[in-house]
Amino acid sequence: MLRKFAVALLVISFVLTLWTTALIYAAPERPTLVVIGPWAGPERDKFIPVLKTAEIKLGIRIEYRIYRAEDLAEILPAQFKAGKTPGDVIFMWAWWIRKNRQHVVDLTSVIEKDKYMKGILEQVTVNGKIYGAPYTGKIKPGFWYRISFFKKYGLKVPTTWDEFVNLLKEIKEKVGITPIASGDGVGWPLSDVTEHFILCFAGAKTFKKLITGEVRFTDPQIKEVFKDKLVPLLKAGYFSAPEEWTTILKKWWDSKYALYFMGSWITGMVPNPEDLGVFPLPGTKAFVFCPDYMFVPKYSKHLKEAIELAKFLSGAQGQTIQVIMGGHIATRVDVPLSVYPPVDRRVAEILKKAAEVVSDLDDTIGGKFQTTFWDQLKYLWVHPEEWETVLSNIEAVQPRP
Amino acid sequence: MVRKSILVFLLPSLMLLSVFVIYPTLYTVWLSFFDEEGKFVGLNNYFKVLSSRETVNLRRFPFKSPPWGTLIHNAVWIAVHLPLSLLLGLLFAVVLRNIKGASIVRGMIFLGMVMPMVVGGWMIRFMFDKDMGVVNALLRLLGIKWLANKTWTAWPEYSLIATILGGVWIWTGFSMVIYMAALSAIPREYYEAADIDGASALQKFFHITLPLLKPATSVIVVMSVLYELKIFDIVFVATRGGPGASSNVLALQMYDYAFRALKFNEAAAIAVLLTLLTLGPAIYIARSAVR
Repeated sequence: MLRKFAVALLVISFVLTLWTTALIYAAPERPTLVVIGPWAGPERDKFIPVLKTAEIKLGIRIEYRIYRAEDLAEILPAQFKAGKTPGDVIFMWAWWIRKNRQHVVDLTSVIEKDKYMKGILEQVTVNGKIYGAPYTGKIKPGFWYRISFFKKYGLKVPTTWDEFVNLLKEIKEKVGITPIASGDGVGWPLSDVTEHFILCFAGAKTFKKLITGEVRFTDPQIKEVFKDKLVPLLKAGYFSAPEEWTTILKKWWDSKYALYFMGSWITGMVPNPEDLGVFPLPGTKAFVFCPDYMFVPKYSKHLKEAIELAKFLSGAQGQTIQVIMGGHIATRVDVPLSVYPPVDRRVAEILKKAAEVVSDLDDTIGGKFQTTFWDQLKYLWVHPEEWETVLSNIEAVQPRP
Repeated sequence: MVRKSILVFLLPSLMLLSVFVIYPTLYTVWLSFFDEEGKFVGLNNYFKVLSSRETVNLRRFPFKSPPWGTLIHNAVWIAVHLPLSLLLGLLFAVVLRNIKGASIVRGMIFLGMVMPMVVGGWMIRFMFDKDMGVVNALLRLLGIKWLANKTWTAWPEYSLIATILGGVWIWTGFSMVIYMAALSAIPREYYEAADIDGASALQKFFHITLPLLKPATSVIVVMSVLYELKIFDIVFVATRGGPGASSNVLALQMYDYAFRALKFNEAAAIAVLLTLLTLGPAIYIARSAVR
């Protein structure tokens, strides 16, 4: 009896092995691509549906790995030098993609140039060749506030510079709190608000020239923005000292501060986005818009599929799915406003109404300038009287045209 | 024959050392003599680095608040961190020697050592926070409100000292453990003889304990100097060298040159300088080990 059972078991296992082997060999090969991006936690959860759709549409498998751009900047040079890559599609800073284009696939033929907002492709274009594919982006629309907080204290959204200064004074004196929360971390939240001041008071044209280096940080027009607008507010104590940006976000939400300058991703970080209001510095005509860019390394083992994936993600379908998930603004002009969640739609409308969008100053220049810019602004925030030294230090690392 | 077999046994480790230590080290030294285009520039990268205000800022040192330059900041680390962690380690080792339940306290002190440095960096950030910092709370209790109401890591005047004091908290566990081991090796008879001679506790400490702790002290000094010269992670996480480079250190400057400015040659020059600085203590350790 036992022998018969053992023989039957052997036969069954043999048949099963044969069947599994046949299945493996008969099935068409589905390559597994590695996508490297910065989104973790809830942001990752919103990105996964886009990748799932890509898997079905392109007949591939996708493995998503989380790396911050700072970490990638350390890993990639050595990998590329060895002719290897940790990912097939990698999200990275635009400046880094431009600088390392010798390792990057030219995507000019797969990008639909006329389908993107003006200025989006310029950041990843060198000598007419496009090295990065734009994904969705985040806008930095201005100072966020809680609608309920403004209602409670009878505060009004300012429409002129004087009204803005009066609002800060009112918050400080009547409500009794520091009006503006200053986010820290590596330093980028301070650069965002500073860029907003420059855009508002020096204009988009000067702002772009700051990026190219034609206008210097020590030029009179930039000095004026600091001397007459930003520094007096810092000296008056209207900005808090920099604090870790997620910690201070919670404090701001708990009404320990009234205003917080932050990008549109804030909508996904607060308990009740419906209570969010936002206003720019009165008179602002241009806004900073930060798209996320991806590139395909030349050393990908699945080059054809990786290019197709980059095309899908930067295309209308990929961006639409991401926009529906919330917290992202499309870089393509063919993604309709109707697909946005309500709070993102408000932000997208600001973007549509803006006379111009510009790229983030420090993200576009990158390199040593970026860290120095962040670090010097942290210094300025606690020592506004040294603003001229700060501007000189920033100018010293600003690229020349 | 014996020589041949020694060579055979040495070969695997020599091969690994050559690939992972010797070649990268030599290549770094090589890189430091060239510019970005691969042109030989001699000691130019070294002059550039050493003459930069990022490395030595004599316009501010010593009368104005930091930034004083990374090299000076590292020197301040050694000047403040070394004696503090050494003395505290000795104090805890001696005081907690004969106390009941001291192992719990020792465990708490040693916690800083076993904790990943990145976590340590974050802890430092919070330790000196104006709202939730334990140091600030203590200062508030003592009535020093002007200092308690500042997040130390956000101010150039305090960020360097905040990272150093945080480093003391992390490193004290190390010196305490070494001293504890050394203390347990001192024969009890010495103390008994001193008791018979009528020596006081202080006399016993200065005439028996301290002299016999000399070898342990040398180890702690050398290891601490190495730690202070190479310090990177806690500074990177706690302040990122800021604000305004006021807490920057050589290792972080090297990292920024390499991975932010993509100036690998100048970064290599800093790496060589750091290696030269650490070479003294390293040779001392090697010699002691041989002896």
